[in-house]
Amino acid sequence: MLARKPRPSSQKSFTSLYDAEDGKQYVVTSVPSVGILKSLGIMENTIIHKKMTYRLGGPVLLKVDSSEIAVGKEFAEKIIVRG
Amino acid sequence: MASCHDVQLDSRVDHDPKRILLMGNPNVGKSVFFSQLTGLDVISSNFVGTTVTYTEGTIELNNEKYTLIDVPGTYSLEATSEAEAVAVQFVSSKPRAILCVLDATNLERNIKLGLEIQRYNVPVIYALNMVDVAKRHGLEIDIAQLSRELRAPVVPTIAVKGEGFTDLKAELAKLVSQPSASPRFVGTELDAWRRAKDIARRVRNQASEELSFLDRLGEAMLKPLPGIPIALLVILLSLGAIVGGGKALRALLLLPLVNDVLVPFFKGLFAMFIPEGILLNVLIGEYGIFVIGFEWIIALILPYVFLFYVVFSFLEDSGFLPRLSVLFDGIMRKMGVQGGSMITILLGYGCAVPAIIGSRTATTKKERIMISAAVCFAVPCISQTGALISLFAGFSPILLVLMLLMSFVIMFTVSFILGRVIKGEVDPMVIEVPNLLMPNPKAYAKKLMLRMKGFLVDAEGPMLISIVIAATLKETGLLELIAGYLEPLVSGWLGLPRDAVVALILGVVRREMAVAPLLAIEGLTALQAFVGGTVALLYLPCLSVFGILTKEFSVRFAVAIGLATTTTAFLVAGIINQVAQLLS
Repeated sequence: MLARKPRPSSQKSFTSLYDAEDGKQYVVTSVPSVGILKSLGIMENTIIHKKMTYRLGGPVLLKVDSSEIAVGKEFAEKIIVRG
Repeated sequence: MASCHDVQLDSRVDHDPKRILLMGNPNVGKSVFFSQLTGLDVISSNFVGTTVTYTEGTIELNNEKYTLIDVPGTYSLEATSEAEAVAVQFVSSKPRAILCVLDATNLERNIKLGLEIQRYNVPVIYALNMVDVAKRHGLEIDIAQLSRELRAPVVPTIAVKGEGFTDLKAELAKLVSQPSASPRFVGTELDAWRRAKDIARRVRNQASEELSFLDRLGEAMLKPLPGIPIALLVILLSLGAIVGGGKALRALLLLPLVNDVLVPFFKGLFAMFIPEGILLNVLIGEYGIFVIGFEWIIALILPYVFLFYVVFSFLEDSGFLPRLSVLFDGIMRKMGVQGGSMITILLGYGCAVPAIIGSRTATTKKERIMISAAVCFAVPCISQTGALISLFAGFSPILLVLMLLMSFVIMFTVSFILGRVIKGEVDPMVIEVPNLLMPNPKAYAKKLMLRMKGFLVDAEGPMLISIVIAATLKETGLLELIAGYLEPLVSGWLGLPRDAVVALILGVVRREMAVAPLLAIEGLTALQAFVGGTVALLYLPCLSVFGILTKEFSVRFAVAIGLATTTTAFLVAGIINQVAQLLS
């Protein structure tokens, strides 16, 4: 679906979803195998929009397709995305 | 997926050829469909061999009666959770037809489930719900195209407003009377995802966004500011409505009803036939069954229970609670659980029994134990809260605030300690935030009715038992005897009057009964009221809770909770009393 760039550009860096900047779109590159994440459409190659990160160890809020999904910090840290 | 064949089929589910399944994702408004399509004869059952409950009712199509089953909402049919396994059981049990509800605002994910359902060779019809919200969000959906893509009828609906049900019923009637070839989908979950995304892209047209006030409010409530202040305000208003409304109901309607009508009527009635003596006293004496029976159940408990469910069901159906979970997940993590469990704990402020049953949604056993324990230890049920409010009414509202603070501290402590002691993990939260909406009156009323019915059925027995015990103990003089034995504990350590023993005995049966007898004691000091309230709050949960703990966990667990709570109750309350005595 997504054509691979011949060389890794510095802009397309990989980062955990938790650390990724708020208010931007990302492509998921790796997800822990958790049934509920898959069922909600958070899979490899899905485009997600990260809306915000809650402070004090709170979750991240995502927009996947048109639904809003909150993912707890420990999962968000294990989901790797590409900017 | 192998588990499809492991779970035993409910024998009743197996044989009814007139069964129609109502399926869909969680939060698509399935319960509104259910209440719009069925009559009043609704039954809630447990799926055999599982902890999953489902509701069934009767639907009339072509003048024939069919059973509509509200299958638990799932995101997929992969049998990775118990609810999904049950859903798989239902679709593979050869139902007559499936009504699958699709949320127009989350098309991809909903179509994906809609396709997975087509694996089972059952005639299916789709209801495309929340088309109004989708439109406001700028999504116009080509219904005819969607119907072609899914190779099945699609009916647009706005369930909360009751729109589209006439068409839906007509289409459903057509489907059951002349079953056409069922659409088939073959492929893995990933294939279903690909196809769903493809379909969604083809049927969806971008239109201009015109968000309503509720859409904006729902959005704003997800941001810490103003989300947290709004959430706290809603909780405060809810509490105000329950406490204030309960008090008003009690003073204006229920107390006069009990004191001026019911009690005098039964007093007069029994006095005519029964000679004075113990029996008459047990029936209509100071602690008589027909005196405290009405006073405690009707005037003390019912108004608060009713109003709690009025408020809670509203918050639940409006989409407020998931937002609360998201906002407070950080704090709940500190306690050792996750944000989603906050809903379960809040439910515990109504009654511990549904909260313990509700803790099934926790993804790990560890979290289930932690939530259930926290609820048993420190969450007063609404009946008890009502009794505590009445108890403290004569003193200062500060007592109530102090008690609330203490309950939080203890809940936090219990949860924190268990989190360290119990092995295993607590999974992080993954929660979908539904659209904020105004609940549908019919579905709301039905839910409220089911809840009140459940409460009356579950609580009536233990309540009557405790009232009979109270009346017998008091009026036969047995109480004095027991009071003598417990004197050192009750009067010495806790500093309570002798009569408070009744509270301790009855508190075993029902939570509010650990408070109610204190109300009858004359000349109670503020300290005694607070100490008595503390014992009641932390004391052994009621008989029903003991029963549900045994059923959901084990007898050992129930006994352990019972012992631990009782010890904590006497310890904490005693220390409060002793320290206060020392200081004064």
